[in-house]
Amino acid sequence: MATAELRAEALLTVREERYLQIVWRRFRRHRVALAGAAVLLFFIFIAIAAPWIAPYDPYVQNLERKNAAPSPAHWLGTDELGRDVLSRLMHAARISLTVAFVVVLISQTAGALIGAISGYFGGWVDNLIQRVVDFMLTLPLLPLLLTISALLSDVTIPGLSREWSSVVLIIFVLSAFGWMGTARLVRGVVLSLREQAFTEAARALGMSDLQIVVRHMIPNAMAPIIVSATLALGTVIILEAALSFLGFGVQPPVPTWGNMLNNAQADMWTQPFKAIVPGFCIFLTSLSFNFVGDGLRDALDPRLKR
Amino acid sequence: MVNYLIRRLFQMMLVILLSSMAIYAIMNLAPGGPLSGINLGADRKSRLSVEEIRRIEEFLGLHRPLHWRYIVWLLGEDWLDKVGLEHLQRTSCQRIPEECARGVIRFDFGDSWRLAAGQKVIDLIWFRLPNTLLLMTSATLLSLVVAIPIGIYSAVRQYSMLDYAATAFAFFGTAMPVFWFGLMTIFLVSGPRSPWHQVLGLPYLPTGNTFSLRPPPPGSLLYVLGATPGSALDRAVHLILPTLVLSLLYMAGWSRYTRSSMLEVLRQDYVRTARAKGLVERLVIMKHALRNALIPIVTILTLEIPGIFSGAVITETVFNYKGMGRLYYDALQADDWPVVMALLFITALLVVFANLLADILYTIVDPRIRLE
Repeated sequence: MATAELRAEALLTVREERYLQIVWRRFRRHRVALAGAAVLLFFIFIAIAAPWIAPYDPYVQNLERKNAAPSPAHWLGTDELGRDVLSRLMHAARISLTVAFVVVLISQTAGALIGAISGYFGGWVDNLIQRVVDFMLTLPLLPLLLTISALLSDVTIPGLSREWSSVVLIIFVLSAFGWMGTARLVRGVVLSLREQAFTEAARALGMSDLQIVVRHMIPNAMAPIIVSATLALGTVIILEAALSFLGFGVQPPVPTWGNMLNNAQADMWTQPFKAIVPGFCIFLTSLSFNFVGDGLRDALDPRLKR
Repeated sequence: MVNYLIRRLFQMMLVILLSSMAIYAIMNLAPGGPLSGINLGADRKSRLSVEEIRRIEEFLGLHRPLHWRYIVWLLGEDWLDKVGLEHLQRTSCQRIPEECARGVIRFDFGDSWRLAAGQKVIDLIWFRLPNTLLLMTSATLLSLVVAIPIGIYSAVRQYSMLDYAATAFAFFGTAMPVFWFGLMTIFLVSGPRSPWHQVLGLPYLPTGNTFSLRPPPPGSLLYVLGATPGSALDRAVHLILPTLVLSLLYMAGWSRYTRSSMLEVLRQDYVRTARAKGLVERLVIMKHALRNALIPIVTILTLEIPGIFSGAVITETVFNYKGMGRLYYDALQADDWPVVMALLFITALLVVFANLLADILYTIVDPRIRLE
């Protein structure tokens, strides 16, 4: 008995590896996606290693050498408070990417669950959820995000300073308005899964509705969820940067690419690189997430190909 | 159809009422009221006493309970004394009758608190509206003129070089942060210090605003064209960069929509029939396929209408373009709630009407669809 189980498990892992291998082989063919993945790995490495590889402390001011031009000591110069721009850029990658990943984790999980519930149960539950999704999707996103961030700007979370509270709040706000697309996507997948034989088998075996949703519906919808999550990362990076740029997102001195860009626009013509570099980081990250998402779409499920 | 419209109108009124409640509640229940920062920067001498703050609150009507404030915001307060609720009226309102007869129902959103203290919010909006309409019309037209042909071509010649180029362009458009793109265009071609002027020696564009305040300096495009401040030409030149930046966003999306919609239609039987009966390819595409492919585009365009009001917040802010988007940003910055609430309410109104319009247009462009 034990050996039989073991053998079955071994078989399963072999098949799983083969699936991942197929995905990887297909993904590798997509040159642009591969380049995007390389760029993202680079940024993620910088983000993780920032405290060790950044040449200076991003918060330490030195008013004697403010607004310095690039030099061997400060590769990208210093900002209006004499802080090293390169170090701030590296720590900004940390904040911006963390915000993006946490927001996407929360909003995609919520979206998947809500969508699966909506599709699986149908009836008035489905109707209610879909009307809410419809309504939220028609609202103009940016003004709404701006308003709520502005209203919450005075809120501080106990135990956190004002600027770190702003990081948590921006995660909250972006998550609250990021789940609708995934919910609709997963609902569509679940609607077709629900009618298939294995669902009936699971029910016949005595699985509860919750178990079926979590164990069968969501895993089967994983491919489109992963694709939409990757694309969502690109969107969230831009939205967070936009809010921080307009002054309603992450508050200085905590650096993000968005608020660094805001600081840099004052002396754009004398020191253009300070406006060029953070913006280019935002653009490149978002573009890479889009490319990787596109590559994953082709690799994970060829049927999804447009 | 008539029955449908009547039912829809009732639903819409309900939605508008609910969203007005939501807007009012969110703006007024949020921490930090309009008077919260009033003593913040003041020294001991100019600091207001509790008594004085209470008087200001009474003047603004903030002493009333929240639901009454909402009702007055919506309906005005001239009717309160007729139903025996004169204690809820402000004293200023009892003295001056015009102060009483206000409320959203009369399209009066109260007075601005900070941005233009004492001015009517609706006047601020009327003042800004033409600028935004101008920007939105030019951006929409430009994007349509570029995006639809690109979309058609990409679909007809799928996987051609131009299709790949259009795909790449769409990727760049969706990944591009508008604020950065705007800043970069300003950096490159605006102002006397831009590389455009310094390196290439070409006449530079204005860095922002909707019109010039003083005669243009030599070297600027406005000077070369001989535009006088405030003239139509002056406004047109100020419109160039915001229009370009805004339409890039739309182009990326709309060319994709057109492409996928067109691909869908080209696969259908009736297109094959049209070809089989020997119709010229140009007619098959422009007359048979395009007409049906544009149906979803009509809906998308209609649903963009609410964005006219608030969609260009970033672009208008970056270019300091005095439109509704910039007004919204300024109002949020200054905690000018009456302005914020007015803009949100009008946006909600437009969302609801655009949805209805989209549904009605759908039945017109596609007779197969019937509303019931």
